[in-house]
Amino acid sequence: MKSKLSKVSMFSLIAAAIILVLSLFVPWWGMKFYAPQYPEGLDIIVYPTTLAGDIEVVNGLNHYIGMKPFSNDTFPELQFMPYIIVAIAILTIIVAFLRKKSLLYGLIVTFAAAGALGIFDMYRWLKKFGTELDPAAPIDLDPFVPPIIGENTIANFVTNSYFTWGALLLGIVFLLMVFPLWKDRAK
Amino acid sequence: MNVQRILSAVLGIAAGLLVAFVFFGDFQKEDSAASGENKSKAEKVFVPYGELDEYYMLASGGHSGQLFVYGIPSMRKIRTVPVFTPDPATGYGYDKETKKMLGGYTWGDFHHPAVSETEGDYDGEFLFANDVGNNRVAAVDLSTFHTVDIMDLPNMGGPHAGVFLTSNTEYIALPTRFARPLGGEYASLDKYEEEYKGVVSMTTFDKKKKEFDLAFQIVLPPWSYDLSDAGKKDSSDWIVMTTYNTEFATTNLEINASQNDRDYIVMINWKKVEEAVKDGNFDEVNGAKMVDPRDIKGAIYAVPVAKSPHGVDVTPDGTRFIASGKLAPLMTVFSFEKAFAAMEKGEFDDEKFGIPILPYEDVMEREVDPPGALGPLHTQFDDKGHAYNTMFISSEVVKWKIDTGEVIDRQPAYYSPGHSTAAEGDTVEPDGKWLVALNKIAKDNFLSVGPSHPESMDLYDISGEKMEHIMAAPVDPEPHYAQIIHRDKIKPMKLYEKDENRPNSVWSVDDAHIERKGDEVHVYGVALRSRFVFDAKAKRPDAVTVKQGDRVFFHMTNIDLDQDITHGFGINDYNLNFEVQPGQTSTLEFVADKAGTYPIYCTNFCSALHQEMSGYLLVEPK
Repeated sequence: MKSKLSKVSMFSLIAAAIILVLSLFVPWWGMKFYAPQYPEGLDIIVYPTTLAGDIEVVNGLNHYIGMKPFSNDTFPELQFMPYIIVAIAILTIIVAFLRKKSLLYGLIVTFAAAGALGIFDMYRWLKKFGTELDPAAPIDLDPFVPPIIGENTIANFVTNSYFTWGALLLGIVFLLMVFPLWKDRAK
Repeated sequence: MNVQRILSAVLGIAAGLLVAFVFFGDFQKEDSAASGENKSKAEKVFVPYGELDEYYMLASGGHSGQLFVYGIPSMRKIRTVPVFTPDPATGYGYDKETKKMLGGYTWGDFHHPAVSETEGDYDGEFLFANDVGNNRVAAVDLSTFHTVDIMDLPNMGGPHAGVFLTSNTEYIALPTRFARPLGGEYASLDKYEEEYKGVVSMTTFDKKKKEFDLAFQIVLPPWSYDLSDAGKKDSSDWIVMTTYNTEFATTNLEINASQNDRDYIVMINWKKVEEAVKDGNFDEVNGAKMVDPRDIKGAIYAVPVAKSPHGVDVTPDGTRFIASGKLAPLMTVFSFEKAFAAMEKGEFDDEKFGIPILPYEDVMEREVDPPGALGPLHTQFDDKGHAYNTMFISSEVVKWKIDTGEVIDRQPAYYSPGHSTAAEGDTVEPDGKWLVALNKIAKDNFLSVGPSHPESMDLYDISGEKMEHIMAAPVDPEPHYAQIIHRDKIKPMKLYEKDENRPNSVWSVDDAHIERKGDEVHVYGVALRSRFVFDAKAKRPDAVTVKQGDRVFFHMTNIDLDQDITHGFGINDYNLNFEVQPGQTSTLEFVADKAGTYPIYCTNFCSALHQEMSGYLLVEPK
């Protein structure tokens, strides 16, 4: 069994590493809030390093239902995300140059596991914010878990959660990682 | 006998015709034609929900001292902007800064707005306003539609003939209406010709600091200066002003100031006067640099004009100025080029104040006198070489060709228009789209509200060869003049930007605090949906306790950085109210001279829990 990866595969992995690093600079996930008074919508935009959009306005409105305010400080992940990304990118480069299939399997598993962990982490936060509502809040609302993807209705707001450019890049990274398995498949 | 028969036959036939007409006449036809026409007019001005008007109309509010903002063509009123008059709804004249700016005045008489210009075209940055009532000039920042500066003008007697701007807003000029002794000092009316003066204030405005400066004043004979305009393009160094009361009447002006067949248009070269001021050729009079233009060669001339003219307006290309006759019912077209030639030629008639008079025939190009058109007051322009004159007495708008004087169309106005304003109609590039006549009489145009009537405005579509009267709309008293500016030229902000370095501002609930210095209490508070926080660490963060006689400062910042979430701040029984717009910091200063317990509450409906947005001011008795 041939365990050495081809040159094409090597370039594929190098490309994966580059795209992975680039993904640091674009948003990964977002939530858009619409209400009768906000036809233009309010945004929460999540970059791997920071939150953006109308965070203060959303926090201001959320206090009516007793949701805790969130900011960059609330999510320690935003501090170490860049390190994780860069670490995986470096791992990918190492695998690319060592060109060993067994290592590639390890890389793919690591990447997939990190992704799954990330999604679980998001779910954990969404659940925490949606269910740990201050009982003293002026508007009583049943606890809820905002979906990671798709539509939800809370009071006068309709929210739309979605993955965006960063997630697309991560998908491409994943494809570029598994591509060598197909390219250099045993014949 | 025969006569009687014939008569009864004729009467019988006439009665029969009348009956036939009444019963079978087809009135419906005309109605449906009219309703079809109305439908197409309605379509021109209907702005569907979700779309916006193409133009802003910024109209002076006359003796209300305010600025009215309308949308054109819908004629919907959008906002009243307080300029010279306190406005409790916005806290204008209540918060510390605007109270100081108003300087204790409670009204103004705002006649002529002017949008700041670059190369003779509106740049949409600021709007300037004159106060005929109390001799002031104001600037409104068109990024916030807030008044940002007001300056008192010494030596003036009501700057009616302003404001008008030179082509690059070098000067905001305001000539006086009433002659008055300098400084407004006492002088017998018998000494009118010796002691009374007419003065033109030449003010500058620093766009960065948003501040006026009185650059200099020009002293003139005690005529009344009615209206004025600055030249454009080749004539941009000149200003032209109409005069009345060259009779020097001191009583019953209605009659006594209407005796001379000719009054004057005064022409001043402001560049030459400016240079003289730079060279130090002026006297200090009550804090103003006062220049006598007669001391400067070639700085001042006058041209005779048909009696008691009102408006004088420079054509978009800057080649001519048109005087509206008011009492002599004609428009006189004067040529700048001819005026310059006459100045060159140097054959002047004398005038008792030593101002060289240019011969009328040498400067006048054309007299336009549409039959029966009476009381011309003001001229506006389109992009095709036409002038539009309002006729106060014959209550109409006359469209005519500047080059030939040919009258093209006449349309009634309802009733008695003063100024009119066309889309960018006083710039070097008029749009030729809409014209609004600002009428003085409304009578029965609208649902009656008793003896106090609104004013009335007529909207005309002037894009075609013939003008089309589209609609009339009521307006509060009293727009004199207005500017119609394309919406793309105005760039308003949606919020005040968060500025952590702004004095007295606090940007988080946790930082709200109170400082006490002797008998001064400074509250550094925040307003946000739906509470006030005056002191984050207090048991009750929304209650403030002071001692009777303390001077209290509420420095409030609205930290809801969300469009249209304004918070008001009213104190029960203290006759105080102001507001803070999103991202704004304002200060309310007052002496807590009444002991007791006073609820404080948000006066501008902000949120579902607006009613709960309240607190207390507790004033401990001495």
